[in-house]
Amino acid sequence: MQYRHVQTIDGKGSLRGIAIDGHGQLYAAGDSEIKLFDAAGRFTRRWPTTRPAHAVAVARDGAVYAGEIGQIEIFDGAGKLLNTWRDEKLLGRVTAIGFIKDGVLAGDAADRAIRRFDRNGKFLNNIGKDNPVNGLLIPNGVVDFAVDAQGAIHAANPGKHRVERYTYTGQLLGHIGRFDGIDPAGFSGCCNPTNVAVRDRIYTTEKAGPRVKVYDFSGQLLAVITTQPFHPNCKNMSIAVDSRNRVHVVDTERQAILVFEPVTA
Amino acid sequence: MSEDLTRRGFARGTVLAVLAGGAAFLVKKANGQVVWQVNAARCINSRLGEVGVEACNLCTTECVVALSAVRAVNEYAKCGRCNICPAYFNITSAVNELGQPSEKLCPRDAIARKPIGKVDPEDPANNFYEYIIDEEKCDGCGKCVMKCKEPLGLGSITLRIRYDKCVNCNRCSIARACPQNALLQLPVGQAL
Repeated sequence: MQYRHVQTIDGKGSLRGIAIDGHGQLYAAGDSEIKLFDAAGRFTRRWPTTRPAHAVAVARDGAVYAGEIGQIEIFDGAGKLLNTWRDEKLLGRVTAIGFIKDGVLAGDAADRAIRRFDRNGKFLNNIGKDNPVNGLLIPNGVVDFAVDAQGAIHAANPGKHRVERYTYTGQLLGHIGRFDGIDPAGFSGCCNPTNVAVRDRIYTTEKAGPRVKVYDFSGQLLAVITTQPFHPNCKNMSIAVDSRNRVHVVDTERQAILVFEPVTA
Repeated sequence: MSEDLTRRGFARGTVLAVLAGGAAFLVKKANGQVVWQVNAARCINSRLGEVGVEACNLCTTECVVALSAVRAVNEYAKCGRCNICPAYFNITSAVNELGQPSEKLCPRDAIARKPIGKVDPEDPANNFYEYIIDEEKCDGCGKCVMKCKEPLGLGSITLRIRYDKCVNCNRCSIARACPQNALLQLPVGQAL
């Protein structure tokens, strides 16, 4: 399985988290704003957030959730602020947001936990905190996760060199990944993978040196997406995959989004 | 000798060395002296953005003091306490049966590693680890500093001149050799 680099999208300023909606629109969080790009990668609009945005996610109903320090802001698709969930303790620094059937998940990097809320913002439970012993080990300062079609949560646990799989109640189901500084099937360095996306497969990004990899759900490496286009100092590269299995990855140094597509025989 | 006694002796030696260094530093400060200091933002081993280059060991080879007056120092507040620390392990060595690199990085074995906090006896990857540099063994070669810096690490390890060892040459031989001009002479009050 191979991928090729097909596009570089100018991030129009600082980039942290990215997300793609069902229509292929690309959302990017950075500085104190959300930026929108159409499915062809053309910049279409931006709107401000009240605090620097670290993560962005789009719900099925089109609502846009921005993860910030101490809060989540919820906008409609036009950028109108609908609601703010503020909790300095449970939403210390929100670096990832996801959705499950009846609720919202937020990765709080300040407390190394994934928080589960209902649709009204009521806190329900933690995921990945102190499970099984020290929980999510994130020397890189980012909690990132993705939810698969069955509702399982795949969380990057870089300090353990794993992607861990949890139920929405917080039960640890298993993991893929292991440390290896030579074999590309392993995760290298002190703490990788830093970011994860899930669609039909598990997609990961690593730092030092930056690379993107694709695994099946059993943990078998399917592809290493070329590392060359990335700046070598990139870290915490947010990743999102669209319905055509095109992989979008943030180059955090060049403030750009690199797009890769599978090469079909 | 029991392990506990050995550790106590080591700790006592470390405390005495730190006290001696601190006393020497205070005397120099009182006399309005200048001291040499490594500027971490200039040193190629710790300067951000320098990747894919070999560690510079001029602090080891050029210093007139035995082993060098420059030592690696781990700032614990910045340390990620990683299971696989690239400053401790040679992370490109073969993986052993514990799932860790089989080789250490430090050629003088000057870094000790121990689990801290809640310890998982079943799975070493579940733990945080503390990395302690034995300054009596360290010769300031900078290898661990190079591997600790971002983006690979968090940059918690830097090179520092130990004032109980530095003889404060008028023309520091490391400063003369350093291609990055990373050694600066500062009034004691401005030094770390």
